[in-house]
Amino acid sequence: MSATPSSSRRPVVTGLGFITPIGNDRASVLASLREGRHGLAPVEFLGNPHLPVKLAGTVRDFDVSSTSSRDWTWPSRYAIPRETLRGLAPHGVFALCAIEQALAEAGLAPEAVAHDPGTGLFCASAGSARLLHHHLGQLDAARGERGNPMGVLSSISGTLNFNLGAHFHITGAVCGFVSACASSSHALGYACDEIRLGRLRRVIVVGAEEHNAETILPFAAMRALSAQSDPALASCPFDVARDGFVGAGGAVAVILEAADLAQARGAPVLAEFAGWGQSADGHSVAMSHPEGAGLRLAMQRALADAEVTPAQIDYVNAHATSTPVGDRAEALALRAVFTEGGARPRVSSTKGLTGHPLSMAGVMEAAFCTLALAEGFVPGNAHLRTADPVCEGLDLPRESVAVAPGWVLNNSSGFGGSNVCHVLRRWAG
Amino acid sequence: MPSSSDTPPPLLRFPAEVRAAYQGFCCTRDEAALRVVIFAAVLDFMPKSSAHSRVDALRPEQRLIEDLGFDSLAVAETVFFFEDLFQVTIKNEEILALRTVGELGDFVARRLREKAPVA
Repeated sequence: MSATPSSSRRPVVTGLGFITPIGNDRASVLASLREGRHGLAPVEFLGNPHLPVKLAGTVRDFDVSSTSSRDWTWPSRYAIPRETLRGLAPHGVFALCAIEQALAEAGLAPEAVAHDPGTGLFCASAGSARLLHHHLGQLDAARGERGNPMGVLSSISGTLNFNLGAHFHITGAVCGFVSACASSSHALGYACDEIRLGRLRRVIVVGAEEHNAETILPFAAMRALSAQSDPALASCPFDVARDGFVGAGGAVAVILEAADLAQARGAPVLAEFAGWGQSADGHSVAMSHPEGAGLRLAMQRALADAEVTPAQIDYVNAHATSTPVGDRAEALALRAVFTEGGARPRVSSTKGLTGHPLSMAGVMEAAFCTLALAEGFVPGNAHLRTADPVCEGLDLPRESVAVAPGWVLNNSSGFGGSNVCHVLRRWAG
Repeated sequence: MPSSSDTPPPLLRFPAEVRAAYQGFCCTRDEAALRVVIFAAVLDFMPKSSAHSRVDALRPEQRLIEDLGFDSLAVAETVFFFEDLFQVTIKNEEILALRTVGELGDFVARRLREKAPVA
């Protein structure tokens, strides 16, 4: 990239939408981040109180637990026509509502993005394991002779793209990203590239997941989940006593658009999306590289892309999910990029508050970074009591800090060693 | 009124009078009762209607696609509802021949006459 891209190729954030464990709108999410209010709630999966999974990051004011969309309820301010509802997965309802919020904040009526060849939609989710299980069960019971015609569209990975692309009448581009917990970070990164390349003028990026047994419980079989029932002990990234992540669901949407387009519309610019980088560990199907080599490279590439030095970064939103191996690898990568060069940004993982919403994590945390830039604060490390010695040299504030960051870095890592990092910058016009 | 334990899963979300009509059809084979169930399903799968509202009563001569806004997916959904409810299998070519609400009702009634009584 050139040092000063023209404003027609400069991506900025103009809208955010939140359906999350820590709030279903910008104001409540902001308050939760500032005050350290978590969104973890007791769960009992499959009616079995003996499972070692006691908590999840759950969404309030929605009931999408039934396998029939006719039973679902959501806040009445969102209108979901039957034509759309029939093909949605449960997390598709979250995603649609998050997009409506983000469009409204960006000052965009749905008609403004409908049939606009300059607007794209990039999505990330793992699909609906719950509906896939249900529909395949029906097909199996009928020995393959009949199945629900909406079974594919409402459940497979890509369900967000199919349904939301049609619902919002997106014509620029519709695409899905599948790199596990780095998925929505990839979606944002490639959205940035599409705007920089001049192929699209605006991209709606959304990540969403479900917090039901079918999505979360399989991670218990991997021994990746915390067995704690106390929220203060269950999701404590970088803590010496961390024992796994807490699964979470919801949806977050971000409107990314070319700066000149936003300015011509008079839209509020919340932050500049200054660059991104990615890499791969080439190491293990599930475990992070022990020294965080891939994540280190992704951070360095993101910083180079944004033409910013480690010393200029004021805040890092870490991927740290509260697993022993992953947090250690990230701490070592952060030390290599920052501490060893004398840089000391504040570092926090907001998953202490939200739990880990898998594919949705990257876009959710990019939205949190946008709030930090727009509102002038740094989120803290909720539930961190005793930092793991491997974090030596990292600045890990326990509580939010009322200091306005100028540049922030957002880290993500997914299965197979996919690493994606974003750099966002406070908008100075 | 039928209790929820008498109601097959596909009908659980339908109004009590529809569930009662289903029970009546199962007991008496009364095709007027069956048509209450069929019309309720057509209303329920109409894709253009609001997710939380009902529309006026149907007439048999109304065409599913041209008059009621059905698309092929909605027709397939409606047919699957009957397959699931009555444990029958309906072929694609049979679906393609159905144009109106009345034709759909007649087809389902005829298929159930051919089938063993509903349990």
